[in-house]
Amino acid sequence: MSALCFELKGRPEQRLDLSSLVPARLDGLNRKQIEALSIATTREALSVGDAFKVTGKDVQNLHFIDTDDRCDKIGAKLTGGEIVVEGDAGMLLGAQMKRGKIAVQGSAGVSVGATMTGGEISVRRDVGDQAGGVAFGETFGMKGGFISIGGVAGALVGERLRRGLIVVGGKAGEYAGGRMVAGTIVLRGGAGRYAGYGNRRGSLIFTDKPRHLLPTYVDSGVMEFDYLRLLETWLRGQGMRIRLGGRARRLMGDMAVLGKGEMLILD
Amino acid sequence: MPELKVKGVTIVETFAEAFPMVGTRVIITAPTAEWAKISARTMTGFATSVIACGAEGGIERTLPKSETPDGRPGVSVLLFTMDANMLQTQLRNRVGQCVLTSPGSACYAGLEGEKKLKLGASLRFFGDGWQMSKVIGGRRYWRIPVMGGEFVCEDKTGMTTKAVGGGNLLVVGKSHSAVLAACTRAVKAMADVPDVITPFPGGIVRSGSKVGSKYAGQIASTNHAYAPGLKWHADSELPPNAEAVLEIVIDGLTADAIHEAMHEGLHAIAKGGSREGITHITAGNYGGNLGPHHFHLKEIVG
Repeated sequence: MSALCFELKGRPEQRLDLSSLVPARLDGLNRKQIEALSIATTREALSVGDAFKVTGKDVQNLHFIDTDDRCDKIGAKLTGGEIVVEGDAGMLLGAQMKRGKIAVQGSAGVSVGATMTGGEISVRRDVGDQAGGVAFGETFGMKGGFISIGGVAGALVGERLRRGLIVVGGKAGEYAGGRMVAGTIVLRGGAGRYAGYGNRRGSLIFTDKPRHLLPTYVDSGVMEFDYLRLLETWLRGQGMRIRLGGRARRLMGDMAVLGKGEMLILD
Repeated sequence: MPELKVKGVTIVETFAEAFPMVGTRVIITAPTAEWAKISARTMTGFATSVIACGAEGGIERTLPKSETPDGRPGVSVLLFTMDANMLQTQLRNRVGQCVLTSPGSACYAGLEGEKKLKLGASLRFFGDGWQMSKVIGGRRYWRIPVMGGEFVCEDKTGMTTKAVGGGNLLVVGKSHSAVLAACTRAVKAMADVPDVITPFPGGIVRSGSKVGSKYAGQIASTNHAYAPGLKWHADSELPPNAEAVLEIVIDGLTADAIHEAMHEGLHAIAKGGSREGITHITAGNYGGNLGPHHFHLKEIVG
């Protein structure tokens, strides 16, 4: 069965709320019913059929084609299945998702995977602020799952991160891992100032020595970490070849808060 | 009915009687294969029989770097007991005292299993508050700071209630050296079978036991019917030319695995034929009334 495809007809005049286009909501609907679903975010009524050309059938395998940064909430609250975005995504991509996979071939907006509890999001290019951060009305950020970002991440990546793993391929903005509670962020392209601000028990892994270090992190020196080997092996199983090795410098912090978090800077 | 023989070795028409057990598997890794083995051997050294060790355990196989969760050399260890509570206690004590203490070791789940046993979930308390939990790919691991660095241990491992203990082969021969050589060969052959271990020293038991004793409080005593020095006794099951009997006991995660191991072992024993001095291959049972698993040698041969 061919993937259910939503091809954007042109740049929309308003932001689109695509949270209804997930397998659990689409299951059992025929094409006409799908085209009638409302996706408007202003007083201007808009349905799926107005904005997208709909083809294909398999609701467990969704493709969004030629989408742009106004296409919000793709895969939000996803509970299974796969979504491929052949274009860009707007804000709250995969927010509060529980299971399933989302792959974006372009860039995504703010709050990618906000307060998600499981599943996997990969964005080939850049993401906006607060990736893996806090969804509206929530107290914690991402609570589980895996986000991989190929390009640059905005500020506050992993804000209030509770659990789960974020890998940033490019540079992360300021306050990476800001107020993170636990979980792990791998930073392959460094980060802006104030990385790990307010970190309680989380891990920030820098593949290169960061330019800025908060003064509230305390050096524990270099040692071996089987945890890094475990993580490297798991990432390889996901198709990501990241050399973490086994040795790293450990800085404990943020001592301004609980102080049981860490920065591991690969040796 | 003609006597069943393999290369001149008589296969006695009897069966091995085996019992349900609960079992688990853990994977131990270390900086080198040798240190992984040392850790695993220490954990399973005093684990030959539930009669007095609390558990039966052994190394199932060594694992190359490509098969371990952290990309280091490792071994998989199987551990069996008669009930889940005892398995939990034994696992905690043995991993806690033998693997946690072993230089550079890490310990991971080796079985999904229908039920879970605590692994790092208990041992994390050794971290005295400095332990860290990490969830990778939906699995929880504990990082416990220790003098040697960090001990990484998975939160839980799986348990199976379908394990079987006490599969066995008794090897009768004309000399101790012939029987020992044949049994050594068999243990080596069985080591390639997945899901089984041979828990006794080098996989071989020289003191097979029967249930009970003439002495009150002694729950097991020598299997006198197979002791060559007591061939004169009416209970003896041995032919006049038997000089030694050794036994191989097999525990497995499934009955099928034990069947396969016994098959491999039996043929490895008989490989040299009667010319090497092996006269009989038989098996131990209690008349068939105690254990639900009966491994008939005539079926094992095939």
